[in-house]
Amino acid sequence: MNVAIFEEKEFLGGQLIKQTHKFFGSKDESAGIRGIYIAKNLINEIEKTENIDLYLNSMVMGYYEDGVITALVNNKMEKFIPKKVIIATGAFEKSIPFENDDLPGVFGAGAVQTLMNVYGILPGKDVLMIGSGNIGLIVSYQLAQARANVKGIVEISDHIGGYLVHASKVRRLGIPIYTQHTIVKALGKNKVEGAIIENIQTHEKKEISCDVICLATGLMPLSDILNQINCEMKYIPELGGFVPIRDENLKTTVENVFVAGDVAGIEEATAAMLEGELTGLYAAYEITGKFDKRINTIKERLKDLRKTSSKVVNGLKKLNLYEDFIVEPHESLGDLHKTGIPEEEKIENLLSSKKERFAILECFQKIPCNPCVSSCPTNAIKMDGLNEIPKLDYDKCIGCGNCVAVCPGLAIFVIDKKKESVILPYEFYPLPEKGEFVEILDREGNLLERNQVLSIRKMKDKTNLIEVKVSKENLKHSRHIRVVR
Amino acid sequence: MKNRAAVVIIGGGINGVSIAYNLAKAGVKDVIVLEKKFLAYGATGRCGAGVRQQWGTKQNCILSRESVKIFENIKDELKVDIDIEFKQKGYLLLAFTEKEWNQFHKNVQLQNSLGINSKLLSPQEAKEIVPFLNTEKLLGAAYYEKDGHANPFLTTLAYAKAAEKLGVKIYKGVEVFDIHVKEGKIKGVYTNHGYIATEKIVNAAGGWSQEIGKMVGVDLPVYSERHEILATEPVNEILGPMVMSFSYNIYCQQTPHGSFVMGYGPKETSKSMRSTWQFLETMAKKVTYLLPPTKNLRVVRQWAGYYNISPDRQPIVSSCNEVEGFYMAIGFSGHGFMLAPAVGVIMKDIILGNKLTWDVVLDIGRFERNEIIKEPSVV
Ligand SMILES: Cc1cc2nc3c(=O)[nH]c(=O)nc-3n(C[C@H](O)[C@H](O)[C@H](O)COP(=O)(O)OP(=O)(O)OC[C@H]3O[C@@H](n4cnc5c(N)ncnc54)[C@H](O)[C@@H]3O)c2cc1C
Repeated sequence: MNVAIFEEKEFLGGQLIKQTHKFFGSKDESAGIRGIYIAKNLINEIEKTENIDLYLNSMVMGYYEDGVITALVNNKMEKFIPKKVIIATGAFEKSIPFENDDLPGVFGAGAVQTLMNVYGILPGKDVLMIGSGNIGLIVSYQLAQARANVKGIVEISDHIGGYLVHASKVRRLGIPIYTQHTIVKALGKNKVEGAIIENIQTHEKKEISCDVICLATGLMPLSDILNQINCEMKYIPELGGFVPIRDENLKTTVENVFVAGDVAGIEEATAAMLEGELTGLYAAYEITGKFDKRINTIKERLKDLRKTSSKVVNGLKKLNLYEDFIVEPHESLGDLHKTGIPEEEKIENLLSSKKERFAILECFQKIPCNPCVSSCPTNAIKMDGLNEIPKLDYDKCIGCGNCVAVCPGLAIFVIDKKKESVILPYEFYPLPEKGEFVEILDREGNLLERNQVLSIRKMKDKTNLIEVKVSKENLKHSRHIRVVR
Repeated sequence: MKNRAAVVIIGGGINGVSIAYNLAKAGVKDVIVLEKKFLAYGATGRCGAGVRQQWGTKQNCILSRESVKIFENIKDELKVDIDIEFKQKGYLLLAFTEKEWNQFHKNVQLQNSLGINSKLLSPQEAKEIVPFLNTEKLLGAAYYEKDGHANPFLTTLAYAKAAEKLGVKIYKGVEVFDIHVKEGKIKGVYTNHGYIATEKIVNAAGGWSQEIGKMVGVDLPVYSERHEILATEPVNEILGPMVMSFSYNIYCQQTPHGSFVMGYGPKETSKSMRSTWQFLETMAKKVTYLLPPTKNLRVVRQWAGYYNISPDRQPIVSSCNEVEGFYMAIGFSGHGFMLAPAVGVIMKDIILGNKLTWDVVLDIGRFERNEIIKEPSVV
């Protein structure tokens, strides 16, 4: 079977090539691997496969009633007649209106990521992030890695939108999250020089100086082609806006047209990859008549993945999909949900072991993610299901640090009570030297003490492990270091 | 929604709102406009919106001449503060065949006799107006600088607002699916929002007017045909007039916003309202030959709409012999936008039983009386 991929850009990979963080998910779906490497692997596969024709720099313009697809290839309109069409055009960013929102310096988070991670250009020095969904949290973290100063993350709801491990990651860098706040105004004459944010309850205003305002306020399916070909669409806020009506095999109401990924509804990369696989196999089945059993397993894996995402499942229910599917109720995570900082009591529980050296799994929220389990050489980490919270068998744990290195949420640490040291995951440059004194920071980025680096393990996937000496009373609070030279 | 009205107008295109405005202005109370989708959903929102007075029949000349007077003073007429973007940089009509050139001579004579001061140009003179015009095989051109175009959405909106100010009710998303006729008289309309009692209905349903006719049991002598059109990205103004050729089959203009809008008459009739790639290919070939710099422009959109075509390519603005209280403003072919201001006035005259404001014959009876004068100059 011949396959043609049309891509408007001069390179493949879409959003993935900007995602420098490690993905959650199951080990079978590239969990623990950084988005950029997932993209690389997929691209390699595609380039190796002879019956895939790649049309880069090629924008699809329309799909017409007579079955012809037109695309702009090398600035010429070329025509193709496919048997099946899979539309995987992704999403585009939503924006929110505020005074002066047209000042230079107001960016969408996608633009910031493209500039920073694709072209190596930092959009500014001091950044105010609007939105604490996963994108807002992750882009804040990436900005900090690129040495921008993230002044805060503004969130209108009373709790953090994204995964809490991502929130904890930015909090320990000292980035505040202003819940129940919104931006009301950008300051500056010819470019952004600051912003005014407002508490939506008390209406108290706060001025923040910054040269970049980054909007991470959600995505909307990029459905132009679907509209052009008259796919029946339905407005489903849970899925990001107008989405195509489709069946469980992602077939739309237009014959021979499938959808996969964010264009079918805003979710995340793992779901998108599974949907891509599903539509590919299903389209092939319709052409050859040969059913591939993987079709069923992929559907199961998708279901598994969605067990904890009530929003997506509720959206799908409105499309008459997943009708009997029961989502696990939202756990109450107390303060953690508001601050990204786990409550004292939760930490104490993890520390109750009498052992000298063991791992601390600060993973409190149900996330479809399991790389820690297989990383453990002594089988000390157990999970009852992909979405469950990992449990550590303290007797078996030897404090090796393997799990610290693989955890996509950077939520695992090893403490050694006797040696008085902590092993932390570290994804910043410069790396400290062995013996160097560094600043030891707590979960909110506050300075606890200055102490010595005992060892550095440089890992292939660039989450390096730093073991630092810390005084006894700070063992349970030390979560990040700062290299000061 | 109201459930009775003096007049129900079916169709929220330019003609529906123009008729509504003129009725209300003449003092008719309880006028309702029903539009199944949204204002300008039909041909109006899809058209080239060109406005020309260079016609080959007396009637079209008069209607367009009078409409232009209204377009020119639209704010005074409607008393609403909407700029309809009326651009008067002329129409340049190109003659490539002897027959066409002869017709232009006749047309210009007729037009001049009616106060439309069009003139004939040599190819060189045409090139002075459009310097990049390909004049190969061009015999000559006709030109009138008072022709031009307007923004069809804003024009519809302006008429709608003006009508509403005078008490007209415009209901959007309301589709007429049947008409109640009793003993040859209109009694009301059935809509997806309920029944409205009325004794007068105006069929201003454009491409769907045949279907409305069927609802009262009348086979209207019109048919609808797909016409395609496209718009390019906006660029600085390089083209003043609308350039048009009947034999080469093309029209092309540049809007004040900067984008080029162009189309041509289809070879075959289609009932679909979808676009085709064939149109893109043919259009690109045509326009880049005639106006070479357009080869650098990118197309941003293509779409299609219906021409509603009458046997003589002139509108039917008329009452109906078979059904009392049934009126129609249909069959506008490719020029129903530019004629709408005058059509509204004529329809008001007909409904009120007044003498027509201008000396034109637009009634449906003309086909039986065999008084057909076919418009010779259309794309
Ligand atoms: C590609 C193209 C280019 C054109 N270029 C020009 C040009 O340059 N200059 C020019 O003057 N003209 C041009 N025309 C012609 C012009 O667009 C039309 O003649 C004119 O817009 C007709 O207006 P209308 O109000 O009569 O009909 P429409 O604008 O078609 O309005 C009819 C309305 O009736 C509604 N309707 C239909 N059925 C029902 C129902 N059962 N219940 C309720 N509502 C209903 C429809 O939704 C529609 O909105 C062009 C047309 C096309 C397609």
